[in-house]
Amino acid sequence: MPVAASAIYFLNLRGDVLINRLYRDDVGGNMVDAFRMHIMQTKELGTCPVRQIGGCSFFYMRISNVYIVIVVSSNANVACAFKFVVEAVALFKSYFGGAFDEDAIRNNFVLIYELLDEIMDFGYPQNLSPEILKLYITQEGVRSPFSSKQPLDKPVPNATLQVTGAVGWRREGLAYKKNEVFLDIVESVNLLMSSKGSVLRCDVTGKILMKCFLSGMPDLKLGLNDKIGLEKESQLKNRPTKSGKTIELDDVTFHQCVNLTRFNSEKTVSFVPPDGEFELMKYRITEGVNLPFRVLPTIKELGRTRMEVNVKVKSVFGAKMFALGVVIKIPVPKQTAKTSFQVTSGRAKYNASIDCLVWKIRKFPGQTEPTLSAEIELISTIAEKKSWTRPPIQMEFQVPMFTASGLRVRFLKVWEKSGYNTVEWVRYITKAGSYEVRC
Amino acid sequence: MDSAATSFSSSTPSPVDYIVLLILRPIAAISFVFVFIALGWLLAWKLVLVHVPLVQEIFGLRKKPAKFKPQTRRISRYYNSINTRNSSAPGSGYPPVLVQCCHSSSIAIIKPNYSRVAISHLWSSLEPPSNRIRLLCSTFSQAMAPPAQSSRNPSPSQPSGKGEVSDLRSQLRQLAGSRAPGVDDAKRELFKKVISYMTIGIDVSSLFGEMVMCSVTPDIVLKKMCYLYVGNYAKVNPDLALLTINFLQRDCKDQDPMIRGLALRSLSSLRVANLVEYLVGPLGSGLKDNNAYVRTVAVMGALKLYHISASTCLDADFPAVLKHLMLNDSESQVVANCLSALQEIWNSESSTSEEAAREKEGLISKPFIYYLLNRLREFNEWGQCLVLELVAKYVPSDTNENFDIMNLLEDRLQHANGAVVLATIKVFLQLTLSMADVHQEVYERIKAPLLTLVSSGSPEQSYAVLSHLHLLVMRAPYLFTSDYKHFYCQYNEPSYVKKLKLEMLTAVANESNTYEIVTELCEYAANVYVAIARESIRAVGKIALQQYDVNAIVDRLLQFLEMEKDYVTAEALVLVKDLLRKYPQWSHDCIAVVGNISSKNVQEPKAKAALIWMLGEYAQDMDDAPYILESLAENWEDDAPEVRLHLLTAIMKCFFRRPPETQKALGIALAAGLSDFHQDVHDRALFYYRLLQYDVSSAERVVNPPKQAVSVFADTQSNEIKDRIFDEFNSLSIVYQKPSYMFTDKDHRGPFEFSDEIDNLTVGVESEHVVAATSVDANETSDLLLSTSEKEETRAMVANGSDYTAPFYDSSTPALPSQGQSELAITGLLGTADPGPQASTAIDDLLMGLDLTAPPAPASAPPPLKLNARAALDAGSFQRTWRELPVAISQECELGSQGAAALTSPQALLHHMQGNSIQCIASGGQSPNFKFFFFAQKAYEPSVFLVECKINTSTTKAQLNIKAEDQSTSHEFLALFQSALSRFGLS
Repeated sequence: MPVAASAIYFLNLRGDVLINRLYRDDVGGNMVDAFRMHIMQTKELGTCPVRQIGGCSFFYMRISNVYIVIVVSSNANVACAFKFVVEAVALFKSYFGGAFDEDAIRNNFVLIYELLDEIMDFGYPQNLSPEILKLYITQEGVRSPFSSKQPLDKPVPNATLQVTGAVGWRREGLAYKKNEVFLDIVESVNLLMSSKGSVLRCDVTGKILMKCFLSGMPDLKLGLNDKIGLEKESQLKNRPTKSGKTIELDDVTFHQCVNLTRFNSEKTVSFVPPDGEFELMKYRITEGVNLPFRVLPTIKELGRTRMEVNVKVKSVFGAKMFALGVVIKIPVPKQTAKTSFQVTSGRAKYNASIDCLVWKIRKFPGQTEPTLSAEIELISTIAEKKSWTRPPIQMEFQVPMFTASGLRVRFLKVWEKSGYNTVEWVRYITKAGSYEVRC
Repeated sequence: MDSAATSFSSSTPSPVDYIVLLILRPIAAISFVFVFIALGWLLAWKLVLVHVPLVQEIFGLRKKPAKFKPQTRRISRYYNSINTRNSSAPGSGYPPVLVQCCHSSSIAIIKPNYSRVAISHLWSSLEPPSNRIRLLCSTFSQAMAPPAQSSRNPSPSQPSGKGEVSDLRSQLRQLAGSRAPGVDDAKRELFKKVISYMTIGIDVSSLFGEMVMCSVTPDIVLKKMCYLYVGNYAKVNPDLALLTINFLQRDCKDQDPMIRGLALRSLSSLRVANLVEYLVGPLGSGLKDNNAYVRTVAVMGALKLYHISASTCLDADFPAVLKHLMLNDSESQVVANCLSALQEIWNSESSTSEEAAREKEGLISKPFIYYLLNRLREFNEWGQCLVLELVAKYVPSDTNENFDIMNLLEDRLQHANGAVVLATIKVFLQLTLSMADVHQEVYERIKAPLLTLVSSGSPEQSYAVLSHLHLLVMRAPYLFTSDYKHFYCQYNEPSYVKKLKLEMLTAVANESNTYEIVTELCEYAANVYVAIARESIRAVGKIALQQYDVNAIVDRLLQFLEMEKDYVTAEALVLVKDLLRKYPQWSHDCIAVVGNISSKNVQEPKAKAALIWMLGEYAQDMDDAPYILESLAENWEDDAPEVRLHLLTAIMKCFFRRPPETQKALGIALAAGLSDFHQDVHDRALFYYRLLQYDVSSAERVVNPPKQAVSVFADTQSNEIKDRIFDEFNSLSIVYQKPSYMFTDKDHRGPFEFSDEIDNLTVGVESEHVVAATSVDANETSDLLLSTSEKEETRAMVANGSDYTAPFYDSSTPALPSQGQSELAITGLLGTADPGPQASTAIDDLLMGLDLTAPPAPASAPPPLKLNARAALDAGSFQRTWRELPVAISQECELGSQGAAALTSPQALLHHMQGNSIQCIASGGQSPNFKFFFFAQKAYEPSVFLVECKINTSTTKAQLNIKAEDQSTSHEFLALFQSALSRFGLS
């Protein structure tokens, strides 16, 4: 029995019920009180996302300022339950057009009830794909109470045939004037570096996002410069592998539209895309990661009331490229009294609420190394015996047209019966995941 | 010239001209302009501005919401008069219901008693919907008469919720019959309000009637809201729910499949037991509907029906229809729903009906599994999870089949949905359980997808995956030894993920990576979150206890001791204590550091106890140990009972080694202990006192016997439980780390019953082996029995018992056998025997004596044994007796080949044994291993025999464990049982 959820609750941070849906009778109606009493009002909150109270297990997840709680009375599949919540939230977001929070729920609760009925029946997950559901749940999400309230009175299309069709993710008979495909390769770099500058842990999780505006039922084929794919190709064509950088992907997962059998036999990514935006694939790389930044901190504690912080950040990508929105958070002790900075570029300030020096550089060109040097005065405390536990320096950035893994799209081929021409757009971007340097 | 003059004179302006020129003309010009502008505005107003919403708003031109017809017509006036009459005479009971029937234009009067039948009858006869509305109106004016009055004159003193509800009611009533154009929008707003009240928890069930009246509408959103409302309150208002049946049934025949589906879903969600008769028809036609959406809904509806009334569902033969659909439907979602419905139905039926059990077996038969696997790609992700879960139960006949399935499913490991990936992994693991080498390859194959799952998705998802990883690592520790870096904690991760990652790091540590892992763990010791810092220190300790080469780790631990953070010191002390128990050779280095710690800086009881234990144990190596102990003893009252117990023992140990220095401390401690309020402390002090009084050397033998180092710390979970958890891969069991029966079975959860256990406290204290043995027995029994006392309870008791007897081995740190036993011996004595002359006998002998609770069997020849053919025993008392009684006979016997062949299912043997007056209380297992619990009762006495019987049909052996209330007859019973068993399969 994968999930058979007995009930699902949406609560705000105070524990008020925003939405509840009881699917089965095997749990009492006061389950939410149990949750409030045993989890929300105790220190338990946030210590474990799965809890058992009485005979029921509670799975809960916090999304912005809402708790989503699934109550289950049997031995349910945990991974499935959490995945369901994540998917459901994605679905709601696509209906509301943006944020999923308490206000959005209050403004759209009727819609949510409708959706909850469709995505789960008697505790079993049904269809959660937004493309299909949007065909027959047409009520438009109300964005804000002030916008014009004109409920759509469109006749409901008899789209139920497609609800469960074989190519569940694509409708027939789409037509676009301009056939365009947008590919976004988004990578996030996770790094953990010791204070001595050695890399403790480093990996890249990337995803390929696709936006399709194509007519008919096109068949797409994507070629990347990954090692296995290239080797297979050169085997097939009896040609030696071209020189050039190849990437070894540790693990790949695909959107359900990708023909996995063909991927296993031919190592090519071929698929019939859904209409609109979707996540084509995700991959993970641990070997041969090009780190875009190196951080070299030196922190000296001079006596009990003074500290000297020097941070040098080096950009190691091409000189023609530049990073955007670089934020470097340098932790300082709680009892910081006064700070003074000198930075070679960008702006820095002391943020007392997070106990950090925040150094922002809007545009950070490649092959440069700005520095920050700061002097920090501390309030001398008598009772303070504990030494300061130095949290890591954290960094945020975005580097357009750069991939930390070196992944490149070699080709994207589109076949369709009518044989139209398509325009393909490819973008690369590398973001910081958790980019931490100990100091 | 003249003319020129005249022309000149005429050109001189007259005063009139001046007036015209200076006043009239400007006025004319200005007024012209104004008129022009005014005309322009007028034009603009008429043509454009009137339609601008903002302008409408400002000038109050917005149209009022549609007004509904005032109640001036004859009939409505008539109803009103009825209402007023009702309210004026509340004691007169229910008024007759008046129904205006337009066909016959006559008035039918129905008594409330048969109103249900009559109304539903009338309903079908009323053709135009407006008449139906009127019927509804009249019915509700009857049912709702008293509240209707309150809506008429709402009093200001009413609580807010009620006032609003009655407001809503009057508005709904106005809308009910109206057909004005804007009425649907108005209804929508009202319905939204009602549902939002419902969500907040205000009871709006009193609006049931009005809501149903308003639901006659083509608007699908309104319908959905109404269905939601009805579904929520039908249970509370079963009588009113009847009225919804009609419109729901009608909607089930709608042209739009969407409406058909929705109506069918809400009809089946009413959950009112006496309305199921109305459900069977629509469900039957829904299952045959040509639209897939309706079929998916109908399948779930059948399951819902089963839960409301199982017999109705079975009588209508829905399982067979579902099975047919499951095998033939073209829609994957229908198949998936059928599958989940049938699994549920047959699971709960299989205990009573053999046919259902057979059908359940059929689900995991080869053709069906292959059918599903071939269609696997059609299913959506959730359906795939369902199918894979089923496939994991399938046992292929040969290895080729194994590989076929695995090849087919390999691509599922690349699926974007983590749940599908985990389900696939489960299939792989289960399929290869019997093939050791392939099993290892599977581990290698699933490594990458699992690691991806950990790092992608929300922290909650990684938590779920990490718990599974932890389980796998326990089974295959080498698996992630090179990937340990994936389990380094990130600064911002929630603590539950960090905690699991720390456990993973501990589990994957081996010779090659210990250094890196311990270095990393030491970083966390300085973590801001104290809980994580503690966990990481504990993790270092655990690694130290696993490894042979502990050099570096001991240094680190000693560094922790010097870190000057109280919680770090505390945790490190506990660890050093455990470490010394395993590696006494390190005592020298450790004691040097421990000696420097001032006991004043250690506050936590556990840490203080550890420190005191070390002081006592290594008294000869620490110069000032007696004096530290003495100062601690002087501040007796400051410490927790746990610490005081340890202090007593430590001072005793110290006394045996350095009597002159410790004498004073001992005196203080014993005096303080004897006057202690805590029972345990008092008893222990008294015991030591008498022991010393009796003989110092034997006291030393008891309190401080020579110890040997602990080689392996006991595992907290038995292998059987671990395997069981592994079988339930990809479920909650993994997260809770216990098999599902412990947390789903109702009987395992009850409140902690202590009194029952108190009586058997002797059993609890006897020795740990006995406790462990009985608890394991209890586990086994309880997982087979349906209603048994809880396993957790027993476990808790065990933990409790060990706390009680050996305070410094809390349940989380595994107990150590050799030394633990001696401590147990002492406290065991304290707990059971009064410390009088008995204490003088050798403790070991006494222990042995305690072990044997069973008196020797009397020699007198008993009369031939007769059994009661209709013995009765409920599961609870079986369980209790089983736990209380010792095993009288344990024997293996031969089943015989025919018997083994006949034993295809547990039921077969049950019937046979019943024929021999031996009843079965629980059975389980699958070929070739079966397990039974039997009981029998003597014919003329209440004394019972309990039998645990494990049969292996492949070896044709049966293992019997017999417990008897009357020990003397147990051998006779054994003979009887064996003869009965050997006859099995012959008849």
